[in-house]
Amino acid sequence: MPKVKDTSASSKALNVIIYAVMVFSLLICIIPFIYMVSLSLSSPKAIINNQVRLIPKGINFEAYRQIFTYPNFFRAYGNTIFYTITGTFIALCMTILFAYPLSKTYLKGQKILMKMVIFSMYFAGGLIPNYLLISSLHLTGTRFAMLIPFAINQFNLIIMVNFFKALPQEIEEAALIDGIGYFSILPRIILPLSTAAIATVGLYYAVFFWNDWFNGLIYLNTKQYPVMLFLRNIVNGTMVLGDSSSASTDTATLSISIKSAVIITSTLPIIVLYPFLQKYFVKGLTVGSVKG
Amino acid sequence: MGKRDVGRDINGRSPLQRHFRRYWQLYLMMVVPVVYFIVFKYIPMIGNVLAFRKYRPGKGIFGTEWVGFRYFKRFFEDPAFWRAFRNTLSLSLLNIVFTFPLPIVFAILLNEVNRKRFKKVVQTISYMPRFISTVVVIAMMTEILSPSSGLFNQFRVNVLHLQPVYYMNEPQYFRFLYIASGAWQFTGWTAIIYLASITNINSDLYEAAEIDGAGRFQQIFHVTLPSILPTIMVMLILEVGRLLSLGFEKVLLMYTPSNSSVSDIIDTLVYRTGLTNQNYSYATAIGLFSGIIGLVLVSGSNKLSKLLTGDGIY
Repeated sequence: MPKVKDTSASSKALNVIIYAVMVFSLLICIIPFIYMVSLSLSSPKAIINNQVRLIPKGINFEAYRQIFTYPNFFRAYGNTIFYTITGTFIALCMTILFAYPLSKTYLKGQKILMKMVIFSMYFAGGLIPNYLLISSLHLTGTRFAMLIPFAINQFNLIIMVNFFKALPQEIEEAALIDGIGYFSILPRIILPLSTAAIATVGLYYAVFFWNDWFNGLIYLNTKQYPVMLFLRNIVNGTMVLGDSSSASTDTATLSISIKSAVIITSTLPIIVLYPFLQKYFVKGLTVGSVKG
Repeated sequence: MGKRDVGRDINGRSPLQRHFRRYWQLYLMMVVPVVYFIVFKYIPMIGNVLAFRKYRPGKGIFGTEWVGFRYFKRFFEDPAFWRAFRNTLSLSLLNIVFTFPLPIVFAILLNEVNRKRFKKVVQTISYMPRFISTVVVIAMMTEILSPSSGLFNQFRVNVLHLQPVYYMNEPQYFRFLYIASGAWQFTGWTAIIYLASITNINSDLYEAAEIDGAGRFQQIFHVTLPSILPTIMVMLILEVGRLLSLGFEKVLLMYTPSNSSVSDIIDTLVYRTGLTNQNYSYATAIGLFSGIIGLVLVSGSNKLSKLLTGDGIY
């Protein structure tokens, strides 16, 4: 770390540049969200008159009230919660069950399996073969299409393998001598030691399932759509919100605040949980970068 | 370690038998994941043979009869393919040129921030966009740039007295918007790697530089930058290795018929010909072609980075 004894003019100039860049970066990151909140809370009149900037004009909760009356928004939100919870659970189980044996270099075939995993990161089946596989397994149009194909992400798997490799082997050997098998060593000894890695990988999976929309687009029926696909469809106009009974002049501008309200509600869990969990987000990057 | 077992055959069991008696639970544990891997990662990989076979509905994912390179010949003669190929390359190269230096600059400047709390806040917020859905990023961009009510057009109309511009629909803005939104989403995140590399720099180097009378500017250019140059090289090489894998989902979200002259990349072409028009074999051939180039690029760049970090040029 550079120590700051330098009080020259150039150092002061550097400080000005640094703080300017930092404040600018902060604003750039935050302003889009503030603008969305502002749009979602503003009155249609203020939006149509181009008066809404970063502070909401004519504050009202009409947009939020409206989206909560749309059954398809509720359903999509519920679907996303379902995909995120079950998807993350399945993915964590599968990843741990594969990563733990893969971390034991003395197992026969361990090296080949590891190579197999890494190769599949570099060369994948491609869109069409994957699509045809899912449909020939009759998963198309079922919720499993959002869960099963993504049960193991190779990057997350390697994070787990590296983590397990770094654990001390002595406890395990002692347990083995006591006649405890690996089936009980894993849940009773290894998993309690691995909460940080599980939290990191679990978060990556949860974010993936929460944000996924494309697989919903190609595999699912409308009723099974996740909230991100719902949002995409109202943004590009594939799906028209609300019913025609609402006043026609209002719909165009109300839809702007409604879109913003959907953006905010669908991103809220990530924004709210983020400050508490952010230390886990970074961990994976540092663990994962030291792949052997 | 398993090697200990080799000499010890107490009950007349072969070393292999002993190995499996001891570790069978580990093998059993990974049966389901291995089957999963074969079915969901390797069967689609083998499914690429569809590029050489004719697809018939209901006849499975491997197609029916061999047709050789028919589909490859067809797309080599297809101007739409070459347009997508050019668009992929130029978007990717422009993206590297403009977004690659940003995290480096950001990390170096962030490292110079002396107030710890402020530094932490900036860093934490800067990588949050990485976890926001692409759909949300594009939706927010659409609203900010909206011709009727967006912030930018408010400025254009109210302050500059110009006509509003439909940025998301005009082909000349597509590349800029793709690159800018990528920079917004990933600069803070990628900077973590450079920051980690900066914190590993031996502080003696800075002290020595200070004794030699180097100011902070000189320290940045003569200590920090040279020290993280290996990391920069590796990151650049890996970036080039990913040349053909653009953010397909983002491009698809930004794609409109009016900007298709620049926004139609290989992946969107595969999507359209394959899933929208159901020319499965043809689309698989295009996908396979770009997948193989991608594989060559990635493995080549990995070798290069191993070579550079392995024996080290520096």
